[in-house]
Amino acid sequence: MKALFLGNVAADTANGIRAELIPELQVDIIADPKELSPEIAAATDILVTNIWRADYPPAPRVRLVQSVATGIEWIEQATLPRGVPICNAYGHETAIAEYVLMVMLVWSHRFREIESDFRLHSSWRPSWVHSGAPHGEIRGNTLGIIGLGRVGQEVARRAAVFGCRVLAANRSPRAAGDGVERVYPLDALDEMLPLCDTVAICTAFGPETERLIDARRLTLIKPSALLVNIARGAIIDEDALYAALRDGTIGGAAIDVWWQYPNAAEPERRPSRHPFHELPNVIMTPHCSGWTAGMVRRRWDEVADNINRFVRGDPLINIVTTT
Amino acid sequence: MKILFLGGFAASQVEWIAPIIESDVETEILADDRDLQRVAAALGEVDIIVSEAWRTGMPAAPRLKLLQLPVAGTDRIETAELPPGVTVCNAYGHEMAMAEYAVMAMLVWSHRYFDIATGFRSGSWRDSGVMNGPLHREVSGLTVGIVGLGQVGRETAIRAAALGCRVLGANRTISSPPPGIAQVFPLADLDQMLPLCDIVVLCVGLAPETRGLIDARRLALMKRDALLINVGRGAVAEEDALFAALRDGIVGGAALDTWWRYPTPDEPDVRPSRHPFHELPNVIMTPHCSAWTEGMARRRGADAARNIDRFIRGEPVLHIIAKT
Repeated sequence: MKALFLGNVAADTANGIRAELIPELQVDIIADPKELSPEIAAATDILVTNIWRADYPPAPRVRLVQSVATGIEWIEQATLPRGVPICNAYGHETAIAEYVLMVMLVWSHRFREIESDFRLHSSWRPSWVHSGAPHGEIRGNTLGIIGLGRVGQEVARRAAVFGCRVLAANRSPRAAGDGVERVYPLDALDEMLPLCDTVAICTAFGPETERLIDARRLTLIKPSALLVNIARGAIIDEDALYAALRDGTIGGAAIDVWWQYPNAAEPERRPSRHPFHELPNVIMTPHCSGWTAGMVRRRWDEVADNINRFVRGDPLINIVTTT
Repeated sequence: MKILFLGGFAASQVEWIAPIIESDVETEILADDRDLQRVAAALGEVDIIVSEAWRTGMPAAPRLKLLQLPVAGTDRIETAELPPGVTVCNAYGHEMAMAEYAVMAMLVWSHRYFDIATGFRSGSWRDSGVMNGPLHREVSGLTVGIVGLGQVGRETAIRAAALGCRVLGANRTISSPPPGIAQVFPLADLDQMLPLCDIVVLCVGLAPETRGLIDARRLALMKRDALLINVGRGAVAEEDALFAALRDGIVGGAALDTWWRYPTPDEPDVRPSRHPFHELPNVIMTPHCSAWTEGMARRRGADAARNIDRFIRGEPVLHIIAKT
């Protein structure tokens, strides 16, 4: 049986998990998809990747697509054989939950401005020494989590220990508990938004969540509130969010996922057609909230486990869809 | 009963304390505690003083019975200079804010947040997952050693444990481990704890046995990539040794909120150390503000006010730190 690890991330994965894979499995590693030959594609049984395009050479023998990421939207299914399971991998939820807590804390404590003013100008103004204006804390804040999946649940458990009141909105009904005080159906989101000091978007991207946060919903959020997005950029209306942040309709945003990504021609492409980087009330990071050594280790373990299950004929985990 | 809020800091706290006091009291505010004539006049009549400082050479205070600090820190109180028969109490409410700060510093350090945010704002995707950039760390799985298991240390432990850290503690008096803490070392065995820690959090006040506690020898016992967080008092860490250790990579980094030098009216923007910590890239530095939140002011003001009420009603007061 042959497995093809295709693309940069899959190539790193192959090197990380090789010792854990069943020895009979033959492994091809191609970091740059442009170098994929028709012969190798044609011989592949297990495709391990985060990207597959319709113009790649045909791979008619593929019986398992194992994604090395959680999102599978970059895997084009049209030219893959029918009836093939596509499995994803997790392991990022710990890292992302830490990121959400971190940006909530950094925002409330005004950590970056205070640190920068003290380093550059030795400003003691925010201190008790000068009886300066106090900053905030997250204790007692109301956090609204949109999407109570793996990431949302991990965020909820942590935030509750910090003394936040945690609400959530979810597509499928869920019981409260594990830190969550109340779960709203997603179509009652408008009831939850006005209650929140922080709104954290942790939901998957799909037809029901595309532009879920639009201009109207942004006006339902408190003018002092922080909006956190670690899911997918397109869940928020780009124009509406920029205007809301610029005009003070909401207090601020911590954004890790974007509407525009770099490509070979534009490696430093700005992440939006609007200058979010000029707004002082935006915490912005380059899609890295889950990008930790711990995530990689956990994800590698899941990928290796699933490949071995397939080779042995055991039931697969993390099946997202079937081609 | 007459209460005097004495000094600029106490005066700034009146709004958080005075409205909460239920007893019938007469309140006087004297922000300028260097005007000794007015201070002498006020001290002659007061029963209760709210102040965080009591210096040598204060005028007589013959009726004084309670010195209620509006803070936790007692290092500005010269107990020997107080008249006899005074009960000195401090106030809490800062511990939640400081615990949030300590955990925030752990997260920002591990996730390399400042570097990544600065790079991205200027246009670089080098740290992105989609560009297969360098990985950062999580705090989950790290070993956190908390020096000082008072209220701040315990609140920090609960939060760090919730993030998946293994939490150790070192304390002068040894007890069964508080919630979230796997093992407690006596302070005398600190040297055994330090090499185990990815993060060391100093949550102790200044006392003879904590002054210079973290010296060159103990810094060398820490892991080379460890983070030292100081929310206690600057002088718990040895200034010269810490600067050298950070500069030379003996420890990985530091998040410092408490310092060796503080501003004065003549030097309001004084640098916080005789060494240029602000030039080191592995230092996160803030101006003694970890506790300085609205929530802290509300909790601590209420704590002080309730203690004043207890005293006036003849009930036992809390948080006694000295009786003269």
